Amino acid sequence: MNPHDRWFDGVARNLIRHAARRAPPALTERLGEEWLSDLTGRSGAFSQLRFALGCCWATTVIAREFAAPVRAAAAASGSKTAVVDHADPGWSLSRRTTVILLIVGLHVLVICVLATAIEAHKIPKATSPPPRIEVNVLPRPEPPVPPVPSDPKLTQIWPDVPTPPWKPQAPSDPVLVGEPVTGGQPTPAGTSTPRPVNRVLGGPGAGFPNADDFYPQASIRLREMGIATVSVCVDGAGRLTGTPRIGQSSGSARLDEAALRLARAGSGHYRATTEDGRPVSACYPFNVRFRLRD
Amino acid sequence: MSFQTLKVLEAFLENPGEELSGADVHKRSSIASGTLYPILLRLESAGWFVSRWEAIDPASVGRPRRRLYRLTRSGLAHASGVFASFGRGIPV
Repeated sequence: MNPHDRWFDGVARNLIRHAARRAPPALTERLGEEWLSDLTGRSGAFSQLRFALGCCWATTVIAREFAAPVRAAAAASGSKTAVVDHADPGWSLSRRTTVILLIVGLHVLVICVLATAIEAHKIPKATSPPPRIEVNVLPRPEPPVPPVPSDPKLTQIWPDVPTPPWKPQAPSDPVLVGEPVTGGQPTPAGTSTPRPVNRVLGGPGAGFPNADDFYPQASIRLREMGIATVSVCVDGAGRLTGTPRIGQSSGSARLDEAALRLARAGSGHYRATTEDGRPVSACYPFNVRFRLRD
Repeated sequence: MSFQTLKVLEAFLENPGEELSGADVHKRSSIASGTLYPILLRLESAGWFVSRWEAIDPASVGRPRRRLYRLTRSGLAHASGVFASFGRGIPV
């Protein structure tokens, strides 16, 4: 018996002894022994405590019922002492005991409610083997590229280069160094014609970890499925340069966290974004789908 | 006669000659102790039951002795009459 059960057993026995003492004197010894004996047949702390509390209530009923005939007999014989002894089986004590029992009962009730609440929040254990898992990591589709008549395979992206207004610089102070400056107008910087860049976004590449290893067991039991969009920043070698973050939630915090763990574990196995075939650092999103199949 | 009293009698009428402790009656009738023991004492004082202590040596058996209740002949007749009036047809 563990200490918890031993404590409840002790409380139950004390309650029974107390209840037996409040019974009519002729029954005190008998009821105490009988109830303590029947208590041993109860298994479980709460069952024992409920039994003991029931005995307390039984004493109240028995005392009332068995006092009535004695009271009537005593009244008939004119013995006031007998009436006092048996008609009032310690009601001042009974009131105090009732309050104590009420407090104990409330504590038991609170413990029961808490135990039930904790039990309800536990995730049920899987009784059958978990269903097959199919997890696909889907690269986020790139935005459609308008066709270019000359070379439809290339995607032309014009870099957004600011073009500051050019102002002819008039030297405030004439400088006479060596030969005089010859030539025409100076060519302002930033006004050169932008060059088209073929940019291909990266994604999970070769050697990327298997995502089914990251499917949370709780989500499997609860049959949670969904697609999480993860944003990552990757350098030219396919390594993460920042902390991955959720771009769009799957609807489950567990699955989102699993997608982030997958993204972190995949560092070094990303396919880098390329510009004109040259790997560059870039940030891009990709989808992680968690799906269960029976 | 209350429903709980009928359930106690029903527990004894399953085998009228059998002696049952309060714990046994509880297992058969699922009546809480606060109701069960007053009923047992009430029926005993009315002469429907007799009770005795179990004849064992608690030290050798390793458990306390139980208080055993048994239907008396008149108790059996009364209880059977009660159930017969409900059309249960309990054999006496």
